[in-house]
Amino acid sequence: MKKHFFKILLISFSLVLTSLSSSFAEDPKRGGTLIAAVGNTPRHLNPAVQSGIVTGFPGAQLFATPIRYDNNWDPQPYLAESWEISDGGKTVKLNLVKDAVFHDGVPIKSSDVKFSLETIQKNHPFKTMFAPVISVETPDEHTAILKLSSPHPALMLAMSSQLMSIIPEHVYGDGQDPKKHPQNSVNVVGSGPFKLVEFKSGEHIILERFDDFFIDGRPYLDKMVLKIIKDPATRTIGLENGEIDFYAFENVATNIVRLKKNPNLNVTPKGYAAIGPIDWLAFNTKDGKTADVNVRRAIAYAIDRNFILKAIMLGVADEARTGIHPGSPYYEPNVETYDLNIDKANKILDDAGYAKGSDGMRFGLTVDFGWPGLKPNAEYTKAALKKIGIDVTVRPSADFPTWAKTVSNHNFDLTWDTVFNWGDPVIGVHRTYQSSNIKKGVIWSNTQQYSNPKVDAILEKAGVENDMGKRKALYSEFQKMIANDLPVYWTNTLPYHTIYSNKVGNPPMGIWATSSPMDMTYIKQ
Amino acid sequence: MTLLYSFIRRIFSMALVLLVVVILNFLMLHLAPGDIADTIAQTMGGADEQDMAQLRKEYGLDQPFFIQLFKYILRIAVLDFGHSHFYNLPVYDLIMERFPATLLLVFSAQILSLFVGISLGVFAAQNPNGLSSLFVNMFSLFGYAAPVFWTGLLLLIAFSLHIPIFPVSGMRDITIENGNFFTHFFDVLRHLFLPMITLASIFFAYYSRLCRASMLEVLGADYVRTAKAKGLPKREVLYKHALKNSLSPVITFAGLSFSAVVSGAILVETVYAWPGLGTLAFNSIISRDTPVLLGILIFSTLMVTVGNLLTDLVLRYIDPRIKI
Amino acid sequence: MNKIENDKEENTNPLREMFSTFFKSYSAVTGFLILILITVMGFLGPLIYPTDPFDMVWMPFSPPGNDGFLLGTDYLGRDMLAQIINGARVSIAIGFSAALVSCFIGVGMGSFAGFYGGWIEEILMRITEFFQVLPTLLFAMVIVALFGSSVLSITLAIGAVSWAGVARITRAEFLRIKELDFVLASRASGSSNLSLIFLVILPNAAAPIIVQSALLVGAAITFEAGLAFLGLSDPNVVSWGQVIGSNRTYILDATYTVTFPGIAIFITVLAISLVGDGLNDALNPKLRSR
Repeated sequence: MKKHFFKILLISFSLVLTSLSSSFAEDPKRGGTLIAAVGNTPRHLNPAVQSGIVTGFPGAQLFATPIRYDNNWDPQPYLAESWEISDGGKTVKLNLVKDAVFHDGVPIKSSDVKFSLETIQKNHPFKTMFAPVISVETPDEHTAILKLSSPHPALMLAMSSQLMSIIPEHVYGDGQDPKKHPQNSVNVVGSGPFKLVEFKSGEHIILERFDDFFIDGRPYLDKMVLKIIKDPATRTIGLENGEIDFYAFENVATNIVRLKKNPNLNVTPKGYAAIGPIDWLAFNTKDGKTADVNVRRAIAYAIDRNFILKAIMLGVADEARTGIHPGSPYYEPNVETYDLNIDKANKILDDAGYAKGSDGMRFGLTVDFGWPGLKPNAEYTKAALKKIGIDVTVRPSADFPTWAKTVSNHNFDLTWDTVFNWGDPVIGVHRTYQSSNIKKGVIWSNTQQYSNPKVDAILEKAGVENDMGKRKALYSEFQKMIANDLPVYWTNTLPYHTIYSNKVGNPPMGIWATSSPMDMTYIKQ
Repeated sequence: MTLLYSFIRRIFSMALVLLVVVILNFLMLHLAPGDIADTIAQTMGGADEQDMAQLRKEYGLDQPFFIQLFKYILRIAVLDFGHSHFYNLPVYDLIMERFPATLLLVFSAQILSLFVGISLGVFAAQNPNGLSSLFVNMFSLFGYAAPVFWTGLLLLIAFSLHIPIFPVSGMRDITIENGNFFTHFFDVLRHLFLPMITLASIFFAYYSRLCRASMLEVLGADYVRTAKAKGLPKREVLYKHALKNSLSPVITFAGLSFSAVVSGAILVETVYAWPGLGTLAFNSIISRDTPVLLGILIFSTLMVTVGNLLTDLVLRYIDPRIKI
Repeated sequence: MNKIENDKEENTNPLREMFSTFFKSYSAVTGFLILILITVMGFLGPLIYPTDPFDMVWMPFSPPGNDGFLLGTDYLGRDMLAQIINGARVSIAIGFSAALVSCFIGVGMGSFAGFYGGWIEEILMRITEFFQVLPTLLFAMVIVALFGSSVLSITLAIGAVSWAGVARITRAEFLRIKELDFVLASRASGSSNLSLIFLVILPNAAAPIIVQSALLVGAAITFEAGLAFLGLSDPNVVSWGQVIGSNRTYILDATYTVTFPGIAIFITVLAISLVGDGLNDALNPKLRSR
């Protein structure tokens, strides 16, 4: 009897405790400073004229967008409290919040929305985001009407996260080049929940609550400190000894595995669905030996996705079979996968006429890599292709601009790269495969010089198709085509994880990770 | 007045050295594949032929080499080091921001290694063939032979992770808002400790062995023997007479090694994320931010030459027989 | 002619003397033996232990001692022992070649400066001072970053910035030697300047130059390691510095991947220092023991 009594007491006691603590956890407390680490220093803090998650993290706190997305890919009101889509998707009316002001107190008006969109169209490197937008009408101070030349299902996503930051016309409309505007780094006048205290390039970014933010009671945090720490091991040590509370975009597999074991930290892959990063091996499809699709297929058969997933990624990444991220609703897994088959690879090359020389090698290729994290992949390629008689030379480049110049000018055979989907295929996927996007000198365009008129046609159709079912079918066919042509060999998703200590509540786990406003994040006291 | 004359001569040769640095670097940049326009284009996300031509014109890259060089020298003369296209700030501002941190690191490391090196040298000189001498030799050789970044990494893991006494990176804790001078002072000191020791470790060997050799030579000299014979206490003999006179080769070497210290500082800064010129240089290489690199090269050369000058002044103070 | 030959014999003594003194020192001999061992390992090692350092032979991060891998495997599952053995050849080759380049430049500059004097000396010494004052790592970083990080460019970059010390010593020696009797005698008997420099004076100046060059090899190995750590190395070649640099990201969980190559560099440079010390002491017996 006593045994049972104690058991029941224990169970009810713990039940009470858990309910108490969970109710505590549900009540966000106002106040506190969040110390976050970031891996790179942003060039400046204005995402309207600069792409990339490095700018996106501080940018999304400083600037607001018309729409924000929750964890379920559903658009939620933000600066636009409601919206109406009509005319088959060619007219989008945004009703703006009435009492929103910029950090200098000036009210946010529809003319700022018009100005921001036009600035983005002129200056932001992502040209497909707002290409169909012909004009923005502003019938009154809180209404903006976007007129498009064709339906543009990607528009909703493009109006969220860091992609459509609303910037003040009275600051940026002074005639200076917005890309070089001094107020991109100091005295930033933004529209978001946090305002800038200090930006010390290479060291830290300090943000504090904007008291007149249009959502009452938010943001919860008093301050956010973004410490710029380039070295992954240093960041890990900082997280482990409590100096750092939060780090997003961690992708080093050994760190992820190690930090998962730490009871004071939470490690989650959630939140990156719209970022959609994919690691891949890109081929030059017009020049050199890789122009032959047989060579590309043989290489694909020789490179073992499983080795990369298990040995290099230590099991924390997911397989990627096509150019669309597996987290996207449009992902099509049923494509040719080129599973490891050395014999088949050798046969393909033999049949195609590339005989082995006396040293066992058929020909040589060079491989580049876009950032240091992909160096292991490049080194692996060298060893893997040795088995099918291709002598690979790894070409290092000390800096990003040199690599970008080499690849964008098509002076490469193979290159490893990580490219983001950016939510809607129109924004981040089309650019890699459309023949109209073969632009010499522009990195992350169709640098593979891939040209397939059927693919072009399908992408054009899918880009304007409003019906979800039909769109899925179109993109499914698209993915099968590119898996067959192999302008690129996709291996894995880049396993971004967010790491946060137990005292951080509501870390951003929606589809845009830290490129979304963190006004609901709080410190558990 | 000869002192003034030689001083002016020194300043003049310093300026000459700087000029050569500028020309040399400019030449190198010009010879290297690619130019600033390429870099800027890629940083912005890419540009087509037309944009590139426009960029080149904007940056004066379409002008002949000597005109570009001449213009650059003129700008340097008025302290306009150009604009960093990565950080979007004037190079001069960037360098001035980072310079104190590197100076602090280099200076404190140099002082520490001199102090420790000289102490070890004196210690070893008292018993030149004994075990202690051998021990000192081995200890200081360790710092010299082990690659400084390796020492730094191991120290970092040992004392920041396993035994968390010291902070992991950076120069200060920015969450300290309302501290007084002393709070900030000790905060910086805490952050400085590991990098300083790491950088100093390279030079223990040099200074201790130089000091030992120099002391041995002096100790055998007549005037020292005389002092001993007079019955002066050993301590006084050692420090007042011998040490003072044996310092010049050590100080001379300190002056000559300034450039090596700066080099070591780059590696140490990278390990500890110390916000100085070293990390700035490294970041500029990764982003091919050539105006910044040029600026850092010129500036660090300046630091070294000034360091040499200061060392010579100290030498002259210790041993007035030496001419500058 | 006879007189010159006699003098020559008389004057190669410093070198021979130096070496015989050298072999009497325990630490110097230890260093020398270690160096021989490492060189042998570098050149014969791959024959005895033929694993390709680039081949993926096992699962990554296999700890040392497991599964038959004495030093474990790295982040790609490559054999650490193979990397250390093959790294010896590359690191020493780069170190040696860079030191050779430096020696070449330095001796050239110093000998001409010391011999000719006057404005030639002035100019050459200014140039030397310039390279002494230049922050060497930074300059080498810039060269390698601009011109690519192949083995050739790294060797040349290191060699091009490290010669100032050799130049100064060479000049000092030349200044000392050129007024000695046997040199004046050679000059009187009509030897050309160049033959005086290279055939008469230089062999007598060789001792301290050799010492300095020996130390330079150690410095060059460390230099290369530093450049590799910063990411400026040739990925198609295995060098110890490269191994440290590539494995730096994994230092928390696989510290051994960084420790072993670091120890290799340490032992090599230590051995070179001991040898250099021995040569130096042999050169200046006055300071050796008291």
